[in-house]
Formats: sequence, structure tokens, C-alpha cells
Amino acid sequence: MGLDRRGFVKIVVGGVAGTLFTPVIWKSLDDVSIWSQNWSWIPRLNKGEVKANAALSKLCPAGCAVKVKTVGGLPFAVVGNTANPMSQGGVCPVCAAGAQLMYSPARVKSPMKKVGEGKFEAIKWEDAEALLVEKLTALKGQNGKIAAICGDETGTAGEVISGLLSGLGNSGYYMMPGEKFVAEKGVKLMGGSGQPGFDIAGSDLVLMIGADALDSWGATVANQKAFAATRPTGAAATAKFVYAGPVLNHSAGVSDKFLPVPPQATAAFALGLANLLINDGAVSSASDFAEYKALAAKYTPEEVEKATGLKAETMKELAAMIKAAKSPVVIAGASFGQGGGALDFVAGASLNVLLGRVGSGMTLLPAAPKAVAGAAASEKDAASFLSEVATGKAAPGALLVYEANPAYALPQADEMAKALGNIAFKVSFSTYMDETAALCDLILPAPHSYERFDDALNPYGVAKSTYLAGKPVVKQPAMDCKDPVDVLLAAASKLGLSLGYDTYADVIKAKAKALGADFDALVAGGIWTGDAKGGSLNLGASALAKVAVPAADDKTLAVALMSNQAFGSATLATPPANLLVISDKELSGKDLLVQMNAATAKKIGVTAGAKVKLTGGKGEMKARVHLNEGVAPGTVGVLLGFGRSAWDEFTKGKGDNVYKILTVSDEAGTGLKVWAGSTVTVAKV
Amino acid sequence: MKAKEFKVTWGMVVDLDKCTGCGACMTACQVENNIAPMVDASNKMRTLSWMLVYELSNKKSGAEAEVAYLPRPCMQCGNPACVPVCPVIATDKNEEGGIVSQIYPRCIGCRYCMAACPYHARYFNWEDPVFPKGMEKALSPSTSTRPRGVVEKCNFCHTRFMQAKDKARQEGGNPESLPDGAYMPACAEICPTGAISFGDVKNKEHKVFELAQGKDAFRLLEKLGLNPQVYYVSKREWVRKLGDNYAATGKPGAAKKHS
Amino acid sequence: MDRALFPEGLERCSFGKFVLWMGFISAFFLFGLYAMLLIFAKGIVVTGLDNYFGFGLWITFDLAVIALGAGAFFTGFLKYILKIDQLKNIINLTVIVGFICYSGAMLVLTMDIGQPIRAWFGYWHPNVHSMLTEVIFCITCYCLVLVIEFVPLILEQKQLNKIPFLHHLAHNMHVNMALFAGIGAFLSTFHQGSLGGMYGVLQGRPYAFREGFFIWPWTFFLFVLSAVGCGPIFTVLVATFMEKLTGRKLVDFKTKALMGKIAGTMLTVYIFFKILDTYAWANNYLPSVGMTFDQMFYGVIYGKWLMFTEIILCGLVPALMLITPSIRNNPTLLYTAGILDCIGVTLNRYLFTVQAIAIPVLPFDAWQTYAPNWAEWATSGMIVAYGFLVMSLSYRYLPVFPQEHSLNK
Repeated sequence: MGLDRRGFVKIVVGGVAGTLFTPVIWKSLDDVSIWSQNWSWIPRLNKGEVKANAALSKLCPAGCAVKVKTVGGLPFAVVGNTANPMSQGGVCPVCAAGAQLMYSPARVKSPMKKVGEGKFEAIKWEDAEALLVEKLTALKGQNGKIAAICGDETGTAGEVISGLLSGLGNSGYYMMPGEKFVAEKGVKLMGGSGQPGFDIAGSDLVLMIGADALDSWGATVANQKAFAATRPTGAAATAKFVYAGPVLNHSAGVSDKFLPVPPQATAAFALGLANLLINDGAVSSASDFAEYKALAAKYTPEEVEKATGLKAETMKELAAMIKAAKSPVVIAGASFGQGGGALDFVAGASLNVLLGRVGSGMTLLPAAPKAVAGAAASEKDAASFLSEVATGKAAPGALLVYEANPAYALPQADEMAKALGNIAFKVSFSTYMDETAALCDLILPAPHSYERFDDALNPYGVAKSTYLAGKPVVKQPAMDCKDPVDVLLAAASKLGLSLGYDTYADVIKAKAKALGADFDALVAGGIWTGDAKGGSLNLGASALAKVAVPAADDKTLAVALMSNQAFGSATLATPPANLLVISDKELSGKDLLVQMNAATAKKIGVTAGAKVKLTGGKGEMKARVHLNEGVAPGTVGVLLGFGRSAWDEFTKGKGDNVYKILTVSDEAGTGLKVWAGSTVTVAKV
Repeated sequence: MKAKEFKVTWGMVVDLDKCTGCGACMTACQVENNIAPMVDASNKMRTLSWMLVYELSNKKSGAEAEVAYLPRPCMQCGNPACVPVCPVIATDKNEEGGIVSQIYPRCIGCRYCMAACPYHARYFNWEDPVFPKGMEKALSPSTSTRPRGVVEKCNFCHTRFMQAKDKARQEGGNPESLPDGAYMPACAEICPTGAISFGDVKNKEHKVFELAQGKDAFRLLEKLGLNPQVYYVSKREWVRKLGDNYAATGKPGAAKKHS
Repeated sequence: MDRALFPEGLERCSFGKFVLWMGFISAFFLFGLYAMLLIFAKGIVVTGLDNYFGFGLWITFDLAVIALGAGAFFTGFLKYILKIDQLKNIINLTVIVGFICYSGAMLVLTMDIGQPIRAWFGYWHPNVHSMLTEVIFCITCYCLVLVIEFVPLILEQKQLNKIPFLHHLAHNMHVNMALFAGIGAFLSTFHQGSLGGMYGVLQGRPYAFREGFFIWPWTFFLFVLSAVGCGPIFTVLVATFMEKLTGRKLVDFKTKALMGKIAGTMLTVYIFFKILDTYAWANNYLPSVGMTFDQMFYGVIYGKWLMFTEIILCGLVPALMLITPSIRNNPTLLYTAGILDCIGVTLNRYLFTVQAIAIPVLPFDAWQTYAPNWAEWATSGMIVAYGFLVMSLSYRYLPVFPQEHSLNK
């Protein structure tokens, strides 16, 4: 067989051309782009009408007035509610992830009964409620036998729980520690009463002492909006912001000035500033001015430098700035919203008195009318209560936990969890499988924020009485859950007790009515605001006389707790959609990075990236070192919200829980338990 | 290839003196664009963050220390480095408005565009999107989910742009000249301090027109000549200085060579 | 056992020994195959590539083997177009090396892209402005050319050649070989240049970017020149390596020295322009974007020593060695220069691939480092093993070296 040159070319060309003329090849090839995009395991989008419904998103401590966007009735995103004057269209990072949290793997899917160590069994609601009634019936009428811990500062649910306890002859209603509790104590020490508020919008200089007001203190979004209003882009700023605290945090980042003040020197810093202001001519008509002046005089620039490390010059500049301001305001608080002493608050607030800003910059909110008769305020916080349980001083037989996570978010967390073990029957009303729920005998799943009625009265920090309410966005909760308040009201009636309502919605309607607010307008995304009470305060001089500046210690470091709102809160582990926000300077794999400046690191002999063990009290935690020049000297900054032992794969076992190493001490003269001044030893491992 | 000119140029002006670094923009972006949560999001070398907030430091300590937060979406460059390199036209800058598109079903995942982008705005989908069981019910209808192996990036929430144009048509407005605020990406909409302004930087009636020309406005790496459509504003000189490389001249404000 | 298949009149090792050798190489190949299947199943998440290093070992490997495989087109060009007849002694080897390099590179590329089943989109939706499109076009086309060049050699296998059809086919292909060599040279010049252009156009990567004249034609030809400056000598190194392995003389030293002279000439031209290019880049371009030469380097892993090694030790030095007849004609020195040359060009490809994207361009960004992981090494190793397998089979059964008979008398 022969093949000449021409034949060869023919075969090649013909073969190629022939293949290309079959359309099957081209069609199937082109389809690749379609089917390689739509594998069966790639999730499909939901279809349907897109709507935006007003909601009160209480995922963050203050609560955000938002609009929840739904597609075919399913929530998928959260946007701000521009009509609401408090949030003005802003949303905090936690509420921004709210829709996805409805399907968090950590959600409790149905009522659960504990059947063994760490083991639960799903049960029916009727059985769960019957069990609750049975246990409460047995302990009814014995004071001290039933207790409740509430972690919701603003909801009227607290009144229902407190009222229920009273009706059952018990007074054991305890709030999780929060800034509001401490601040109200502080106001009392200054001869006043009520919840203090701060008018950031109406001030031209805002001095934040410890309070991370632009990230995680108070009504964050409202604060941020007030801040933003003073900073029109492209134009001159109309107010100055100064942050004095242990860490260059988010508030400090946008402030005009950052003053690193170690956590234990907050009061000294405030009093040192008072001294400069008085020397500069500031006077007050407060009855204890003379005493205050004498006290402040002890805080000379040299003393302040010794306590804080701040140069006299820096303090003078600050005093001059304040003097130049027309309407300054001082906000004092713990950098993480709890555990701060009342004295730190008083020291900061006294500056408002000295500057004559009480009633304007700093306000006092009047007590609001109650919706539930018999509801009482929490006398002690949950930390004090559980300490008593640990020592046997208190011995309740049943504990109701509502929107609180004491096994995680109290100092010496491991000890607190152990104390919970002393209580025979514990019920958790929680949306998520948190550390406390995991220890409880009965878990009654609560609806997610967008599945329930809820309200928020006076989130801490607001300058005027403020009331928000919300109704469910979805027809049906994603899980088999019931509103805790509805459950408690039903239980109450089975216990032969009438609190006057059948549902939480009724309670909120009554609360709105008592305040003079329009319930329908509120749940449509509105707001009710009342007036601030005037009232005079003294300078708290007699309380401040007890301020002690702890001597510097070479072996230990002060712990500065850092809070980052996006990372969740005491009652909420970092939402899955927020994990991206955690930077690699904060978490690396499963290691939490603790922050300190290079000089501090050198002093204790550690280097960047070193693995360390932090020890305080009976607890210890592991971490690695990140060098951060924005941390005050002799201080280690530790982020809250890590080291979860329950929840889901997104948070469990990541980092360590700083609460474990915080130590509680009694504050001189106030009887408060404080842990903001905790010190720890840091050692290389 | 010559850069295409557009009558409408969607742009962002981010006020770095207002950004608290809270991260709401990153969360809103993730939600809007159906980015599946990662179990280990601390491995920043593998995350998908269409919007990423950088922390900038003045490298001083104590009372001198300052930080700034810089949210970084896609810069939607006027003269993009990524578009001409794509071998399959999976990314283009061709639509009125000047948004750099990304066509997921077209992308072959060669990552040449990622190598081209100095802003690291482009991300490779390392794994198929896996949402925790049930969470797919909370998927946003705005953005299709992407399989692994394709590159993705911020597109200024392009679906919102189309929706805004549809709305304008329905209401008898001009979809080619949307009023200020009619179209807002998720990050700009959610920002609690309003640090992110958004609009047509060529339209005098839009706020960003003036803001982008302010004396404190700058763009990232302007000297490279990529002509970004995202502007930043800061009154702090050290922050502005970190927007570009001045190592050779030592001072900012050197003549802008390209744009 | 397989003696009947050996090339006419040549001796090969025992079949048992050969099987052992092939088994040894296959172990590497199979390990790489496992990694490849894993990559196809799970995606390139199993590699060490990340958000910063979208390009890594694989792209470096591809670029390097494409440069080293340039011996095929350039030798073909010299032999068939410029009619340098002496090159017939090594031309078959260059074709096989080229084929291995290009087919291997294409295989790596299909792994490297995130959507392998869309690999052909480069043809279906081509972006004519993209250098990569040009590279895809030329590499696939040239790989076909190499197949066409390789086929006649296979058909010349003793038993196959007995079949008249195949014999005629091989003959006809040989007759037309000048045409294919021409097409090959054309395609190769383009894609070698475009590979340089791929980096040269990266406006956001100051290490690689070149402006105006420095991109076209400068960078374009730098890459072409560097490829032809190393490809021929790489073939010589392969031949010498095979000689060491088999213990037989395969190519006469005169041909090797000629290949060295060709490579050396090209390398000298290349390195001259490369130095000019580097100087202009460091002194003009970098300052124009506010950067400095020092900023391009970091620590040891991305230190300046890399660039000096590339340009001086593995560029200028081998260039001078190869163009100096007395050095070139000393076998040891010729091979030393060849090795340096190949390292230099590989290093060049590495620097343009990895160093260029490791540099933090944003002033507030930090240097990131990249290290390939086992999956990348294993698959790259698979390609090397594949090369060994193809070469071993070719050597054993095909008449690769025309001089072998006479040299081993």
C-alpha cells in the first residue's frame, strides 16, 4: 500500500475537518460552563417576594432597630431602619449576621432533658412544661429555694421572671453583672438615683474613660451615629473625642487622642484630671466640693504619671482641651461593660459634676412604670449570688436561667460552673446551646430575635428614656421553640398564680401603655422617648476617698479585657458570618493572641508569637503573644468571647476564655464585687 | 488596550477618620453575597473576604500610637490590571457604571487575575460552598453561589445596581442617571458610622463627586496607574501616606504620573 | 526477551534490569498520580497555594520546563531552516525532551486551574488581549507540532517500520519536517515571549512590570532569548546524563560543544539585555512608583542573593564560560556552565512567578512567604518521572541517537 504526499495531507485535513463538523461535540462542550456551575451540591437560591420588615434585633446587648429582609418569607439579611432615630439606619456587626443565626448549628432544636453527663434527649413541650411546673410546685413558698438569673437588662421579661419568683415566695432574682448595675450604684454614692445617661450627640468633647462607646459600650449604634454626625466627611469635625483606657481599641482608633491608662489606674487618671481642672479654675457648687478638691489635690501630675505612665504634659493638654470645650462630657465605664467598680464610675462622673454638665451631658433617667406587679429589681448580681452558692451560703433547689450564660461569662468561670452543679434542678431558656445550657437539666429553647416579641427599655447609656419593641418577622420559628415568657406565664397559671398576662406580647403592650407609647408604632420600627430627669449629684468625694492605687508589681500584669462587638457577647458566641472579622492578630488557628507592648513583653521575657500561660485565681488560660504598641504599660489585653466549650464547630475550642483567670475582689466602701482590676501572671510555656 | 470611558462611574469614598473597624461591612457583604462561613476563618490565606478591613498603624507607641481601619472592597479600577490578563474574558469592565464584572461560569480558575491585582481584592474559591445544615434557607437571592475553583470578588453588589435601574424604569425615572442613594452596596448601607459613601463620582448631584475631589482624598497605589474608583479620605497625614509608596521620594504628594 | 524491539544493531540492558528501573521510576510516578487524583477530587485546596500565592511551584515548573524544552524548536530551527547539519546528531533527543517538557507542562496546567473541565475555554472564549491566551494557544499548538515531530521517530522503531504504511507515513512526515520545524519556531517564539509578557504586563506587580518599550519588544525577547540560551545546553545535559546512566556514548562531544556555543551565544545576548533591563527597572521604573530596589527583597527567603545568583552566578558566568572556546571545549566546564545556565533560567522564572507576588505592594501589607507542599512536589515529581519513563522507553526501543552505533564500536 502506498501513500503519497497528497494522500497524507488529505487524510490529516479530512480527519480534522470531519470531527469538527459534528455539532454534538460543540454543544456538549459549551454546556460545560453551565453544568460545572450547577453541581447538585452547590446550594440554590431561594425565590419569592423580597420584603423588609421592621424588627428589634436583640442579638447585641443594646439591641438594634433594624429591618429584616426576607425572600419568600425567609429572612436572609439585615439592614438598618433609617426611620428609627436611635439606629438611624446603622446596624451593628452582630445583628448584621442575624438572619444566618436563625440557622446556627448551635441552636437548640427542641426541648431537651438531661439524661446523663453532657447527654440530652429531645422531649415534647408538654412534658417539658409539666416537668418545670412539677419542680417549681415542690419548692413553691420556700424562700431561697428558687432562683433566677437574667441576662437581659432591657427586656420586660425580667419583670415577669422577678414577678413570678415573688409570687412563689422567693426573692432570688439576679441580673448578670453589667455596667448599668454598677453605674446605678455609683449614682447612689453621688447622692442621686436612677440610670445615668450620656448625651454624646449634644457634646462637643467626649472623654471616654475605659468605656468603648464606639464599639461595645452602651447603645453602640446610637453612639456611633452621634459620633458620625460630628464628623461630616470632607468637612471640619464639630466635636472632639478622647479615649483614655488600657488598649487602643476601636473607640480610640477614631478618637482625636488616645491616652493609654492601665485598667487599675482609671480613677487615679480621672482624679488627676480633676486636680488639673480645679487648678485651672473649675469650681462646683456641689456640697462636697471642698472635700473633693482636697482629695483631687493628692493626684498631682507626678502621682498620675506614677500610676498611669502618662506624662504631665499630656494631662495638661487634655485639661486644656476640656477647658476649651463648650459642652464636654465624660463617660466612665469598664472597657468591656462589666466588673468595673462603682468608684471608677464615680471618679469619671464626678468630672461631669465638676464641669457642670449634669442634666445636660450626663443625665439621669427616671424610673419607668412596671408592667408586672411584684417585680423587683435585682439586689445582687449573679456573680455574687453564685459565689454564695459555691460556699453554701445560698442553696436554691431550682434555678431558671434566662438569656444568660453564667457558666461562661462570670469571673472564675470554672468555679461558677462548679457552683451551678450545687443546684439540683436548672432550667435554661436559651436560643443556643451555650455553656450554661449544656449544664442544665432542662433546656427550653427560646425563639431567635426575629421569631418573637421582645422589647428594650433604656439600653444603658442613652441620654433620654427610650423604649423599643419588636414583633416576629417570620410566621414560624425555624426550630421547635416557645417564647420563655409565654412558658413562664403558663407555668405560673398552673402554679395558681396570676401575673395578669397570658403572653409576652400582652406584657409588652401593657408596658407600652404604661409608658404612654403606641405599641403598634413601636413594633412597626418606631421608638418612644421620654424626658431625662434633672436632679443634682454631688462629687462623690466620700466614696472616692477610698480609691486605692495599687502598687506596681513586677511579677504580674493587669488584665485589660477587650471587647469587640463583632465577636459576640456574653450570651452569644461569634456568629458564623462574623468569623472573617476576627483578624490574624487576634486569633490564629485555635490560639488566642493576647496583646501587650514590646516593653511589657521584654519585661516578662516573652517574644512575639510565644506561647504563654496566663494564671489568675484558680484559673489559667493559654494563648500566644501579639505585640501591640497600643496597650498600656504593664498590661495584657485579652479579648473576650473565645474559649467556648459548647456552641458549634465555628466557635468551640477556639482560643481560651479569659473569664477563667479573672479574680473577684470587694470594692472598698461600695460592697461591690469587682474584677476589672484583675492581675495575672504570664509565663512562657 | 485603552481604558474604556464611562459616563457613569460608580465609586466609593471611605472616610477613614470615621471607620471604627467594627466589621459590619464585612458581615453584610458576606451575607449579601452568600459567602459560606469557614470553620477556620483565622487562616486568612484561604478566606474569601470580598470586603476586608485592614488595620493601619502609625508604628508609634504609648500615647503617640494611632491606628486607622481601612475597608478594602474591589477598587473597580478604571484601568484594571486584572481584566486584560484574563484568558477567557471571565472578567470585564464594559458596562456603564464601570464595575469590573466577574463571570463565575466562565472562569477557569487560573488565578492570573489574582496575581495581577495588587490590592488582593480577588479571591479564589478554594472549596465548594458549604453552609451549616438549614442555613441555605438564609441565602440571599442577590448572588448565585459559586462552585470551588473559580475566582470571585466584590462587584459593588451589582444585583442592587440592576434592581435600582429596574425601579427607576418602573417609576419613570432614568436608569442611566440614578439619583444619589438609589443604589447602595450592602457595606455602604449598613455602616453604622456612615464612613462609606457611595455614588457616581462623575455626577455633580452625587455627594461622592465632591468628596472624591476633597483635599484629603486619595486612592490606593495611585502611582501604579490603575485608576481605582474607590477613594479614601483622612485628615491624618500618616494615613494618607500609607495609601501609596513613597519610599523612593520620601514624601507624599509626588507628581501623579499616570492619572 | 524484548531484543527484537531494540534499534538496529544496538545493545540494551537486560529486560529484568529494565523492569526494575522502570518500577523504581514508576513508584515516583504513581505517588504523583495519587496526588493528582486527590487534587482533581478535592481541588487545589490540598496544595500550598493560597490567596497571596495563586501562582507557585507549578507555574514556576511550567515556565522552567518550557524554557528548558526550548532546545526542540531552536535546534529544529537551526537544523531544518538554517541547515546546520551537524545538529542531526542530537535533534531527535531535543524533540523528545521538548515533547516531555511541553506535554508535562500542559498536564500540570490542567491541575493548576481551578476548573479543569473548562480548560479549553481559552479557545472557546479567548481574550485576545491576554498574554495567557496566547500562551494557551501556542503551547497547545506547539505541543501538537512536537507530537508530529515525535511520531516519525516512533514509526522508525524497527518492528513498526516494517509495516509499509507506517514506513511511508514516517517518510512523508520526515520530508515535511522543515515545515513543522518552521511552525514550531514561529509558535515557540511567540509563547516564550508571551510567557515573559505575562509578567511584564502586571501593572500591579512592580517586580515584574515593565513599561512601554521595556515590555514590547524588550521583555518579550528577554524570555525568548533566555529560553534558547538554556534549551540547547539542557539537551546536552540530558544526553550526558543518559550516557552516565547507560555507560554508552550517545552524542559526540563536538556536537555537544556546538550546542554549548549556540546556547552560550544566546545567553550572552540575553544577559546583556537583562542587565540593562534590570538597571533601567531599578533606576527608572521603581522610583516612578515610589518604590526602591531594596523594597523588592526580604530576608533570606526573598533576599537579593537570589537576583545576584540569577544574573551573575547563573547568568553572566555561564555565558562567558560558554562563549569562550577553551572553556567550552572542556567537558567538565561545559557541563558546569550548562548546569549554572539552567539553574539561572529556572531561578528567573521562579523570581518572576513567586517573588513578584510575594512583595507587599500595599504599604500597609506585609510580606508573605510561600512553600510548596507535598502535593505540588509530588505532582511535579510525577512529571519528571513521566519524562524518565518516556525517555527510557524511547532510548531502549527507538533509534534516538544516530551516532550511537559508531561511537560505541
